[in-house]
Amino acid sequence: MTHRANRTLRVAGLARVEGEGALHVRTKDGRVEDVALNIYEPPRFFEAFLRGRDYLEPPDITARICGICPVAYQISACRAIEDACGVVVDGQVLALRRLLYCGEWISSHALHIYLLHAPDFLGFPDGIAMAAEHRALVERGLALKQAGNAIMDLVGGRAIHPVNVRVGGFYRAPTAAELRPLAVRLRRTLDDALATVQWVAGFEFPDLDVPHDLMALRDTDGYPIDRGEPRVTTGLSFTAAEFGEHVVEHQVPHSTALHARLDGRMYLVGPLARYTLNSDRLSTVAAQAATAGGLGAECRNPFRSIVVRAVEVVYAVEEALRIIAEYQRPALPFLDVPSMVGVGHGITEAPRGLLYHRYEIGPGGLVVTADIVPPTSQNQSAIEDDVTRLVTSYLHLDDHSLVSLCERAIRNYDPCISCSAHFLDLTVDRG
Amino acid sequence: MSTAVVVGVGNEFRRDDGVGPAVARAVSALGVRAEITDGDPVRLMEAWADADLVVVVDAVRCTPARPGRVHRVSFLDAGGSATSSHGFGVPEAVELAQALDRLPRRLVVLAVEVSDVAFGPGLSPPVAAAVPELVREVMREVATDVPGR
Repeated sequence: MTHRANRTLRVAGLARVEGEGALHVRTKDGRVEDVALNIYEPPRFFEAFLRGRDYLEPPDITARICGICPVAYQISACRAIEDACGVVVDGQVLALRRLLYCGEWISSHALHIYLLHAPDFLGFPDGIAMAAEHRALVERGLALKQAGNAIMDLVGGRAIHPVNVRVGGFYRAPTAAELRPLAVRLRRTLDDALATVQWVAGFEFPDLDVPHDLMALRDTDGYPIDRGEPRVTTGLSFTAAEFGEHVVEHQVPHSTALHARLDGRMYLVGPLARYTLNSDRLSTVAAQAATAGGLGAECRNPFRSIVVRAVEVVYAVEEALRIIAEYQRPALPFLDVPSMVGVGHGITEAPRGLLYHRYEIGPGGLVVTADIVPPTSQNQSAIEDDVTRLVTSYLHLDDHSLVSLCERAIRNYDPCISCSAHFLDLTVDRG
Repeated sequence: MSTAVVVGVGNEFRRDDGVGPAVARAVSALGVRAEITDGDPVRLMEAWADADLVVVVDAVRCTPARPGRVHRVSFLDAGGSATSSHGFGVPEAVELAQALDRLPRRLVVLAVEVSDVAFGPGLSPPVAAAVPELVREVMREVATDVPGR
């Protein structure tokens, strides 16, 4: 049975309102004939919805695209609109944005590492089953996540869909005294973050090195989070305004999400790309943790992305501590951003990878067109390619094991499909 | 002190999926602690941390559907077992909370049958019509459960 030449593996999506994902793999005569990942993504709807809205509204509206990375949407939107209006946010307001974004990285990565990704390595069907046997570990993961939430609560107003962000900065900037207790808490969080790297570094990682071009932001200093310009492992670099000249999206029949190509080639954004292009920019403690965790200067094995995420959590906690230590409450929490007719571009590093926003603002400060390129749609082709490589290498496995491996290959990218660890159901079509 | 929290689960940009958030907003205006989440189990668990009574309002798709019909499920002291084919996240949240001893003393789930989950804000007429009674039901739960009131 396991050596049938013609097989169809179908992983149908669980009907979640938030998002649906499905994977179809077809083999013929022992060869992989077709791999189609069908990810349903809402940005297209939001782009239409944004037309005709006031230019100050996109940060609040686009934050609703994702409950896990609302800050990424808010900050990319703010940067694009500020770019269109010729305003540059700097100083302590910029630092507060980075602090807020660190909170999102910590929270999002902790959730993925502990409840979605680790169960794959430890042989549990999901995080709930893992919690039953490894309660202390899951508690540590939840404590990490809650530390990230605490940052978002304090700086963003609340953890889910923060309400304090506005074009130009924030409605209200916290006082230094308000941030201090957060620093006390984050010192303990740093211990948890370092323990996390050590823990996940001990997992067994299937062999898979991906040859894709990797693209991430590169900042003038520090590891890229809230700003920077795109850089590619081929040596190419360009500005946010040139993004559309290099990244071209196209429709594929099997998915409502657009697929993207970088100068005509398949590419990857996310932790592997960020790390490979910026490992020299990690803080000393995060760099030491990376080395101790078995990472070199580059990482091209998607299964090891769990180690990269853990290292990024260490970095984000340290960065949050640094920002809080240097913080002085700005005189004004935001810069005034009067509307201008024009086009603006904003790119930041969402936990899942580079997130691009482009807005065209017309007369009266109304949005004429909006373009959002999220990380998951950029990675869709590369994920399909990974699945093809794995199925080709592991065709001898039975359907169940092969589907599990395919699901793991998808989860390596923490795709924004659904929040559940078991979002994919299996049916095998024996034709 | 005993506390109650109402959690509206759903996405307000997916039409009827916004019924939970609509109810949460309404009871919040009446002075009850209320939160809105998208149904992620961990965030649900965070929303009900430290609460004695939790009322979750969520949308469910049924076949055939009678939009606006409400199903009520309650869990007492981790005694209930979660079985649902809808996969909206609440059952997973209950299971995870059970594993970590984080279930509230009492958990009531009000699941509202919906029909239209297309993109866009606003509830369909039959689901919108169910909101006032849902708000009354939630207020009854809160008023009758919390000791000392």
